[in-house]
Amino acid sequence: MSWRDAFALARRSVYRRLGRAVLTILAVTLAAALLTSLLVLAGAARTRVLNQLSKGGPLAGIQVAAAAPNLGQLDRDSPQPGPPKPLDDVALRRIRALRGVASVIAVEQAPIVVIPPTRIPRALQAVASRKPGTIQTTMIGTELQDASKLPISIISGRLPAPNAQTEVAVTETFLQRYGIGKRDAATVVGMQLEIGSPRKYAFGNVRVRGRWTKQTIVGVVAQQAANGEVLTGASSVEAARSWTAGGEQIGDSIGPDSSPYAGLFVIAAGLDQIGPVRSRITQVGYSTSAPENLINSVQRYLHVIEIVLSGIGVIALVIAGLGITNAMLASVRERRREIGVLKAIGARDRDVRHVFLLEAGLLGLAGGLLGTVGGWGIARTLGSVVNRYLSHQGLVGVQVGMPAVVALGGIVGATVLALLAGTVPAQRAAGLPARQAMGDE
Amino acid sequence: MMAENDVAPVDVHVRGLSHVYRTPEGPITVIDGLDLDVIGPAHVAVTGPSGAGKSTLLAVLGGLDRAQEGSITVGGIDVTSLSGDDLARYRRDTVGFVFQHYGLLGTCTALENVELALSFTGGPTRLRRARALELLDAVGLSARASHRPASLSGGEAQRVAVARALANRPRLILADEPTGNLDDDSTERILELLHALPRDVGCTLITVTHNRAVADRADRRLQLRNGRLVDESAPSRKGVA
Repeated sequence: MSWRDAFALARRSVYRRLGRAVLTILAVTLAAALLTSLLVLAGAARTRVLNQLSKGGPLAGIQVAAAAPNLGQLDRDSPQPGPPKPLDDVALRRIRALRGVASVIAVEQAPIVVIPPTRIPRALQAVASRKPGTIQTTMIGTELQDASKLPISIISGRLPAPNAQTEVAVTETFLQRYGIGKRDAATVVGMQLEIGSPRKYAFGNVRVRGRWTKQTIVGVVAQQAANGEVLTGASSVEAARSWTAGGEQIGDSIGPDSSPYAGLFVIAAGLDQIGPVRSRITQVGYSTSAPENLINSVQRYLHVIEIVLSGIGVIALVIAGLGITNAMLASVRERRREIGVLKAIGARDRDVRHVFLLEAGLLGLAGGLLGTVGGWGIARTLGSVVNRYLSHQGLVGVQVGMPAVVALGGIVGATVLALLAGTVPAQRAAGLPARQAMGDE
Repeated sequence: MMAENDVAPVDVHVRGLSHVYRTPEGPITVIDGLDLDVIGPAHVAVTGPSGAGKSTLLAVLGGLDRAQEGSITVGGIDVTSLSGDDLARYRRDTVGFVFQHYGLLGTCTALENVELALSFTGGPTRLRRARALELLDAVGLSARASHRPASLSGGEAQRVAVARALANRPRLILADEPTGNLDDDSTERILELLHALPRDVGCTLITVTHNRAVADRADRRLQLRNGRLVDESAPSRKGVA
């Protein structure tokens, strides 16, 4: 008997006993839905926690400082850097060529002076607890088209356009100068600032001239790329640095860093590559930091949680599997005559076994499909409830995604479990002596 | 009705067959050193009271049960030496069963029930379907091909069962009380159908019945008494060895 014929016979048997089949499928569906939703939610929680640890950047991100490594603190996530050391294009190319490095993004810095607007918008006045004067701070710049690879997360608004010369984003530290909380970050979006790059002149008394530009705040960000309160594109920062560098070296209160780059953000080829890549960068001669140990510890805890949740789901599936076994055993008892007839007209033991196994597999497949879809629905519903709460708290929501491995695992797992659960009944049916099956009627 | 001489005739030889049922109350011997010789094609009826061992004899001849003692040869095949897949192949290719309870699968239509027997031999679905339709037509049920057993009368269901029994061109047809559940008209029609098989198809038909009128239609009438067969037919009749 071909598999196709056995499948047709199994399908008919399922239809014939539809009530029992529906109940059995329902049990598998519930178990698969439980397993799927738990795994999807666990995955979303893992992503959320790890994103929090990596400050919105890639998990495999390593910050390289313009400083020599501190040999006594190499095993720390955030070691105190050694003495300053220029980070130039030669170093950038050497680090980019290291084994295990997926990409490198340079971050530049320039000293700036910020003059807030004389007329503060009314909405801002309502939430600001103080009015700052002229601010002396640092502007950081990077290739903003690669911002998703940096530890930058948007709190409000958006990032400056990559080539825009008049757009900036400010940090939470900048908001604190106005006494504005994170919840009211949106009130500064749209505000105009005057930003000046200082240049020193030695005419009699030391004098400073500024290169002034008007910039619009387009967003508020949380960032760990470098120290600075204003974020913009790399070209704006390069222009500011060039202007400042053109001045005379008098004193050290105002002036660009001697290092062309304030730092590099290196992305390793994988989480397991973070350690080796850090070692190689240390050998090149620069200090690195990455939440490597923290991520490893958190991952271990998350893994334990996933094992527990999977265990709960698997227990549910096993119970559903026992339900399939019970239903199939009842089916074998009811269909003794049918089994006898099949054998009388030429069915081999394995033909009978195939029919019953396929029947169990069909129940598992149907339950697995429905359960996986249902589990995805449950996870999304719970995710939207959680996101409403997080949004109310002014926090970024979780992304509830369905990994292909969970979807495939739910369907295939339920089917395989059903096949295993159907093994004993199928074996019993196949081993039933033909005469005994017929004679019981 | 059926194609002329569809299959080669088959001889049945049984020697010293014994069968004992073990019960809590003690062993019950239903067949005790039974001998039988049938030269095919022929229609042989086996009669006897309930519990005499008629169905057991049929089951052992058809390979549904194993012979505990003795030998059975059907068309040169030593049935007692077969087991597993070989026994299944014997049931599929050599034997056709007709049961009192029809033995049709309720989940399948009449056509699918006949096709089911053909599915064990393989072959293209198109040819299997054509053969099944031909057989249903031969038993006068082509119009009921798409009906499920529940919507067929007892006589119609038994005709479907006969069509299925003939599907793989068996040389030996074993009918166990084929008219036990039928009314008089249906009984007559089934008996005509079965009785014509040795002549039209060329197979050997062994019918087990406790109905004397059914047995009278056979070429040869045997009675199972005390575990052995007693020939009640005239020596000149067909099928007597």
